[in-house]
Amino acid sequence: MTEFFELLELAAVQRAAFALLLGAVALPIIGVVIIGLDIMPVRFAMMHIALLGIAVGLLTGLDPLLCAVVACGLSGAGLTPLARSRSGLSGAMGLLMSLAIAAALLVLSISGVNASAAFELLWGSILATKTGDVVLLGALAVLVPALFAWRRGQLALLLHDRELAACSGVPVNRLTLVLLVLVAIAIAGAIRLTGALLVDALTLLPALAARRLAQSLTGMAVWAVGIGVVVNLAGFALALLLDQPPGPVLVLLAGAVALAAHFLPERRTPAWQSASSSH
Amino acid sequence: MLVETTGLPVRLAGVSCAHGGRTVVRDVSLDVAAGQRVALTGTNGSGKTTLLRAVLGLHAAARGVIEVGRREARTSADWTRRRREIAWIPQRQAAGRFPLLVDELLASGGAPERARAAAAELGVGELGRQPVHTLSGGQLQRAYLARALGCVEAGAGVLLADEPTAALDFEGQAAVAGLLAGLPVTVMVVTHDRAVVQRCERVFEMAAGALREIT
Ligand SMILES: Nc1ncnc2c1ncn2[C@@H]1O[C@H](COP(=O)(O)OP(=O)(O)OP(=O)(O)O)[C@@H](O)[C@H]1O
Ligand SMILES: [Mg+2]
Repeated sequence: MTEFFELLELAAVQRAAFALLLGAVALPIIGVVIIGLDIMPVRFAMMHIALLGIAVGLLTGLDPLLCAVVACGLSGAGLTPLARSRSGLSGAMGLLMSLAIAAALLVLSISGVNASAAFELLWGSILATKTGDVVLLGALAVLVPALFAWRRGQLALLLHDRELAACSGVPVNRLTLVLLVLVAIAIAGAIRLTGALLVDALTLLPALAARRLAQSLTGMAVWAVGIGVVVNLAGFALALLLDQPPGPVLVLLAGAVALAAHFLPERRTPAWQSASSSH
Repeated sequence: MLVETTGLPVRLAGVSCAHGGRTVVRDVSLDVAAGQRVALTGTNGSGKTTLLRAVLGLHAAARGVIEVGRREARTSADWTRRRREIAWIPQRQAAGRFPLLVDELLASGGAPERARAAAAELGVGELGRQPVHTLSGGQLQRAYLARALGCVEAGAGVLLADEPTAALDFEGQAAVAGLLAGLPVTVMVVTHDRAVVQRCERVFEMAAGALREIT
C-alpha cells in the first residue's frame, strides 16, 4: 500500500492521472456522438488512420501525435459527404481501414521502428504521456462539452433524425463535419492513453452504459462523463495497485460497467433501442 | 372564403421523381395560390409522399421546377430558407436512433411557446418530458401537429401535411380537420380523411405518379 502512495508522488503518474481525468470529460461525449451518428466503422477506421499518422511521424521525425491528429482530422472532414447514408459509410470505411493499416505497416517497416515501439502504439503508454497529450486532451475537455452545451438542441435533433433536423433549421452538413472532425481528433488523442486497440474503453464503453441509463441526450452525456471519470480513475488506481498495464485494466473495468448497465432491470431500459433495430 | 393570409404560393411545373431507376412521380404540374387549401388523394404508392418530400428538398433526384413564394431553391442557403417557410408533418415520424424529448421536438419548430400551447390544446401537453419513442401513434401525430403550428407561428407560409389524421381517434380527426381549415397559410394535405377533404378548396388525385384535379 505504501508502495502505491509512493507511486502517486511520481510526476509521470500524476500526469497520467490528469490526462485520464481530462480524457474522461471529453471522450465519453465523443462516444455518445459516435453511437448517435451511427458511425462505429468510422471510429474504427480512425484508429487505423491515427496509427498511420503516428507511423509517418516516426518516419519523418515530426511529432507523431500532431501527425495523427492532422491525418484523422482531414479524413474525418473528407468523410462528411458519406455520412448521409449508413451504407455509404460502411463500405468506404472497410477500404479506408485496410489501406491505412497497410500503409502504416509499410511506413513503420521503412522507418525501421523497432517492435517494442510499434507494440506501444497498439497498447498505449499512459505513463509515457507527454505534455502535448495533456494539452490536446485538455483542449478537448473544454471544447467538446462546450459545443455540446451550446448546440444541445440541434445535436439532439440531428442524432435523432437527420431529416427532421434539416427541416428544423439545423445546419446538418456543417454540424456533421464538426462532429466527424472532433471524433477523429479525439480518437487520435485517446490512442496515446490506451493504445489503438483499446480506444473504445475511453469513448464507446461509457457511452454504451449511459445509453442504458438515460432518457434524453443530455442525460446520456452526463451519465457517460460520470462513468468515464469513475472508470478512468478507479481503473488507473487499480492498475497501479496490481502493477499491471493500465490500458487493459481500464478496458476490463469499463466493459464490466457497460455489461452491468446492460443487465439492469428492463423498466430502466429505454425502448428506443429496440425501436431502432426494427427501424 | 379565405382567412386573412400570410401564406405563400406554391408552383410545381413538370416535376418528376425517381427512386432508383423507377419514376414514381411523373411530370406533375400544380399551381396553388397563397392561402389555398389543396387535398391530395390517391392509391397507396402513387407518389404523394415523394412529391411532398421533393418540395422540401428531401428527394435528391427531383427534376422540374418547384417554387415556394415564387422562388426556386438551388443553393443550400435557399433550401434552409425553403424549409423555414414550410411546416411539415411527415407521414412516418422517425423512430429515431436516439432519444428526443417531446419538448425538444416541439421547440424545433421555432416557436416553443406556441407549440407547447398547441400540444396542450391537442391533449398531449403533459408529455413534454417523455422521449418521443414512448408515445402512442396518435400522441406522436398530435405532437407533430403541435410542432407544425409552432412552425406557422414562427413564420412558415405553407403547411405540407402527409396524412395528418391517419393515427387520430374520431374526435381528433374532426378537431384537426377544423384546425387545418383555420390556419392562415397555404395547405397541401395528403389525406384519405373525408372531413379533411371537405375543408379543402381543391382536390387532386394521384395515380401512378400522375396528378389530376378532380374538383
Ligand atoms: N426510399 C425509397 N426507395 C425506393 N422506392 C421508394 C422509396 N420511397 C418510396 N418508394 C416507392 O415510390 C413509390 C411512391 O411512394 P410514396 O411513398 O410517394 O407513395 P404514397 O402515394 O405516399 O403512398 P401511401 O398512400 O401508401 O403513403 C412507391 O411505389 C414506393 O414503393
Ligand atoms: Mg405516403
